[in-house]
Amino acid sequence: MVSKQRRYDSLVRALHADIYRFAYWLCGDKHIAEDITQETFLRAWRSLDSLKDEKAAKAWLITILRRENARRFERKQFNYSDVEQEFIEDTFSGSTEEHAEQHLLRRQIAKLELEYREPLLLQVIGGFSGDEIASLLDLNRNTVMTRLFRARNQLKDVLEQPSHRGQSNG
Amino acid sequence: MDDLKFRRQAYSDPHNQDPEFLKAAMGSPEHDAFLNDLRKLDNKIEQALKVDVPDDLAAKLLLKQQLQQHHSQRRKTGFAFALVASVAFLAGMTFTLLRMAPVDLSQHALAHVYHEDKALHIDEDVQFEQVNFQLASLTGNPSMRFTQQPGKVFYSTYCDFQGVQSLHLVMQGEQGKVTLFIVPLEDRLVLEEAFADNKYKGMGFATDNAYMLLVGEQKQDLNFVKNEIKQSFI
Repeated sequence: MVSKQRRYDSLVRALHADIYRFAYWLCGDKHIAEDITQETFLRAWRSLDSLKDEKAAKAWLITILRRENARRFERKQFNYSDVEQEFIEDTFSGSTEEHAEQHLLRRQIAKLELEYREPLLLQVIGGFSGDEIASLLDLNRNTVMTRLFRARNQLKDVLEQPSHRGQSNG
Repeated sequence: MDDLKFRRQAYSDPHNQDPEFLKAAMGSPEHDAFLNDLRKLDNKIEQALKVDVPDDLAAKLLLKQQLQQHHSQRRKTGFAFALVASVAFLAGMTFTLLRMAPVDLSQHALAHVYHEDKALHIDEDVQFEQVNFQLASLTGNPSMRFTQQPGKVFYSTYCDFQGVQSLHLVMQGEQGKVTLFIVPLEDRLVLEEAFADNKYKGMGFATDNAYMLLVGEQKQDLNFVKNEIKQSFI
């Protein structure tokens, strides 16, 4: 029991930030993200014995988290306009050029279709390879690479077209 | 690697470590600059994705798990308690049911005599008033009593006839001592008129309120005491 507790402690400390961020970018709301993270780790605790390899812990947690997130959709229809509000008030400080750019980028990431956004989150936050993302999302690798391509392409376009900035800030 | 393939791969994963991809990147300044741009973009994306994590999130996660753990342990304790309670209940029921099973008075009377051998060696010279007092406290029925001294009574005590409170007397027969059990009437008791083993002979009869069981070594002693009782007990 002690070693299970210790495993859980280190799991929480090592991965809670990544899991929370992944949840946040999945659902777009910091409170919901916190709830999902809580639920994810509780479930992880209950079935910690089924985690054999600590290296697989992150992928395992993300699988649990995605299931939790999907469950949320079953319970209640997701309101997209709320999400965008949340992104706007949450992140913008706007004092410097860099911040403005980051704000813009965050808005655009939030606006990405989930099918493009999710592989990007897994790659950048999760550090997963194309193959790993493919198995997590149950897609083939080519599809994953194409989606990653499109995701970055869209984000790059936005940053390179300043005209968008006025619109999106307006 | 052609240009299009290179660009696609660069977009898909700017940090791709595939040797062919890296070779293509270094093979042309254009590719190199293109890849550098994408890596810069990726750094920005990475920074943008790093939203603030609530300070106390890790602590909350641990606390929640501890609470849950505590809760499930309490549930387990509750289960254990229920289990123990069930076993106790079952044991109680079994005991009660056993006590309701028919009781063979004759066998029990013999066993009792052997068990309380010392009773046959005591002389307390008990008066019938005391016996009546014990009878009354046994049954709560003062009408069940001796009207006179039924010969000499050596010993008198309460005893348990498989759950039935009864009275254990040792009386003087014609020659030897006779043990008398007075057992209040109860449905589940089975009375035999005569019984015996190698050493003792036994006799049983019912009065209005009680079974009388006599155990002694000689038949005439039993008859003697029976007559005494018939004269003195109502």
